[in-house]
Amino acid sequence: DCVRANELCAAEPSCSSRYRTLRQCLAGRDRNTMLANKECQAALEVLQESPLYDCRCKRGMKKELQCLQIYWSIHLGLTEGEEFYEASPYEPVTSRLSDIFRLASIFSGMDPATNSKSNHCLDAAKACNLNDNCKRLRSGYISTCSKVSATEHCSRRKCHKALRQFFDRVPSEYTYRLLFCSCKDQACAERRRQTIVPSCSYEDKEKPNCLDLRNTCRTDHLCRSRLADFHTNCQASFQSLTSCPGDNYQACLGSYAGLIGFDMTPNYADASTTSITISPWCSCKGSGNMEEECEKFLRDFTENPCL
Amino acid sequence: AAFGLYFPRKEYSENVYIDQAGGTPLLRIHALRDSHGEVAHFHLCQNLIISRARSHENHWFQIREKTGLLYLSKSLDREDFNMLSVGSWMPLSKVMLYVFLSSHPFQEKECDSATRTTVFLSLINATAPACSSLTARQLCFTEMDLSFHIKENKPAGTFHQLQLPSVHHLCQNLSISYKLLAAEGMPFRYNENTTGVSVTQRLDREERERYELIAKCTVREGFREMQVEVPFLVNVLDEDDSPPFLPNGTDTADAVVEFNRKEGTVLATLTVYDADTTPIYPLESSRKKYTGTIITDDPWISETFRVEHIFDEIHFSPNGSQVRGTQHEYKLVLNKSISVTEHRSFQLDVLVNDTEFHGPERSVMLHFNVSILPVSIQFPNVTYQFTVNRNAERFAQIGKICIENCMKFRGVNITYKLLSPNASCYPVSILQGREDKWGSLYVNDSSVLHRPECKEIQYTIQATDKQSRKHAKTLLTVVLEGTLLKKEEDCPDSCAVSKHHAECEECGGLGVLTGRCQWRQGSGKGITTNYSTCTPSIKTCPDGTCDVIESKDPAVCPQDCTSGNIIGGHGKGIGNLGIKSGHGICYCFPRQNCYCEKDDIKEQLCDDVCKTVI
Repeated sequence: DCVRANELCAAEPSCSSRYRTLRQCLAGRDRNTMLANKECQAALEVLQESPLYDCRCKRGMKKELQCLQIYWSIHLGLTEGEEFYEASPYEPVTSRLSDIFRLASIFSGMDPATNSKSNHCLDAAKACNLNDNCKRLRSGYISTCSKVSATEHCSRRKCHKALRQFFDRVPSEYTYRLLFCSCKDQACAERRRQTIVPSCSYEDKEKPNCLDLRNTCRTDHLCRSRLADFHTNCQASFQSLTSCPGDNYQACLGSYAGLIGFDMTPNYADASTTSITISPWCSCKGSGNMEEECEKFLRDFTENPCL
Repeated sequence: AAFGLYFPRKEYSENVYIDQAGGTPLLRIHALRDSHGEVAHFHLCQNLIISRARSHENHWFQIREKTGLLYLSKSLDREDFNMLSVGSWMPLSKVMLYVFLSSHPFQEKECDSATRTTVFLSLINATAPACSSLTARQLCFTEMDLSFHIKENKPAGTFHQLQLPSVHHLCQNLSISYKLLAAEGMPFRYNENTTGVSVTQRLDREERERYELIAKCTVREGFREMQVEVPFLVNVLDEDDSPPFLPNGTDTADAVVEFNRKEGTVLATLTVYDADTTPIYPLESSRKKYTGTIITDDPWISETFRVEHIFDEIHFSPNGSQVRGTQHEYKLVLNKSISVTEHRSFQLDVLVNDTEFHGPERSVMLHFNVSILPVSIQFPNVTYQFTVNRNAERFAQIGKICIENCMKFRGVNITYKLLSPNASCYPVSILQGREDKWGSLYVNDSSVLHRPECKEIQYTIQATDKQSRKHAKTLLTVVLEGTLLKKEEDCPDSCAVSKHHAECEECGGLGVLTGRCQWRQGSGKGITTNYSTCTPSIKTCPDGTCDVIESKDPAVCPQDCTSGNIIGGHGKGIGNLGIKSGHGICYCFPRQNCYCEKDDIKEQLCDDVCKTVI
């Protein structure tokens, strides 16, 4: 990972000095002119050969933020302007065998015999309540997100933090079951929509423009990384059966859950059981000449065959 | 501002196979002109971007400077392929190329022109497939959508070639022909000889901003015929070519300042329309493009008022099709609170300027007829008279004191004061909350109520406006009535402690008006706002707000004011204070917990006969 690569680089004088130079190049406000500078270019070229270049981070690792900071400190210099899709700084999810087990746990609730009456979302909540860790962190975020004070609706920042803790620390067999339970009636679908306490974590007074929201997200290393991860793992692809990159449906679900608790928090748009629409809290109103780009960005959530 | 030449799409894509021969054409890039006579020159950046982390010098791809045809100059062998795939963790190897555009021949081989488009080449780890193995979709179109953008008000020109140069080169024995459907009456033309699609006239976004056509492709191989249809979309890009205009010609609005004098008050709003779009992202630059300025020399006016500008996307339908436009709203806002004595009227002009529109009508003048009326601080003609029961306890709420129109006031700070009476009888006080507009009269010293010599007490109330020091006075008479009841032994000092109807009405407590607490019988259905409880006065407690008097002592109305634990089914009130809704009966021990529970012991579950049976 990048923390380790950073240590390796620090042990090597030429690498560490170039890395320092590059960081200075990127730190200034006028990044593009700085990067055109010979010294910065040279630093970039030398670093291309260092372990820092191909380093990645892991979701929920120790020092995740530090790792991502190292990653972006190099990669920001390489994106010439704004790219539509950015590559994920996270290691690809490859543990396919465990995926199958995890997916099995999600679908195990779909036993046809009990199908007609059962509410999978309710079952998922029961299952979570029977696990101490899941119960503790779930009630933690629910109480934080439902708290109402005199002046404000709720503390969105604290609510997001509690949600991130829940999705980072609770095994996905519990979290995915809550988030992606299948529904046959509206009550169940409403419960599914309410999973993340959308009134606090999702909805806002006004819907910002999606490109504006993306820009806000990109100023934050963690949010930027999770969004890039989502694009890498959930971008619809024509070359696979499930429309997911490499048929890795699990990786897409993981990236989706990874966005919860950030500015780009996605959720179910309504409690419909037939057509499931997912979207972040934004619209493409007021996009001007960027409407096409905005619609394209939004469609990755709303009309994504992989997701 | 002249844009110069531009690309009608942001991205192009094509596949490249191992050992494809040098000279193979890959794809055709087009440019559109800003003005007649411009000649496009294409140029390739000599850097292949493999992934964000790596790049490589380009040895394989070249572009024809005049025609925009990208071709393989040298075949990619397996070794090249492996080298270009290294470091790419994507399942599919893609290399990225930038193509630049200029109206002059390129002097230096640089990679930093503003006008560029991106070409994604997917490196396929196999030799080129046989034409017979390709589907009609693959023979006719690339994976990318056929979606283009054309700027409005620009000359006509060719912007796409339907035929894929690589397929045409590879599969010469196939007959592939195209058609553009749904193009009648639209400003686009398909040329069968070149398979080029061109725009035939200047487009106007304000008339139509999206064209949806269908590209149809027919592949013939001997007697076999296959057809594919894909959407062909053209978006028209906007430029600032419309002046601002007033809906219904309204350029004047009245702005009256009377009771609401608070900073931030919106006095009036005028609307300006513009057929152009205004992006809300980035917000600040759009605000700068469309300005609204108060025209005045008077420093008082510029200090006291400000103009707030918000804008929103709206739709116009010039000829059936919907087109986006902008609604700008200019709000005249008080920049500071205005004194109650201020009295003037004048016309305030706001100049709205569409700074990027190049024409004579780029600005509009808005007029606000401002009248600032003075308000008087005075009491209604009548004098106040309240009767107080001698059994009332401390913090019993007697009544409200309010100057004329006090409920309408905003931004005016009135303080109410009781001027001390000459007598020694002094049982009541006045309190007011920070945002409250009235004064609340309450019992401050209940022992005075017990004294027989105090019967009718005269007070003078004074209301003062903090800012102007203006004040008004009126008379208040408090009449004591009723006979003293004997106080029950063992009664708690708070009504809220009582859990049953009977014990509630036997006792008094802080805040009671007549010496006895009052029982509120709830609906008894689940967790409800109408829960059963014992209170000093049903009118004020529980009413969902912890008012100034209730907040003086936690024993008065914990149902509205508690911040402690509530045990049992409940919902908390605003700001986590009080019990908004509860299950069954809610009772509280002040400074400790509250409990909400169903009272099940009311009826005896089992009588003596029953007991023997069991």
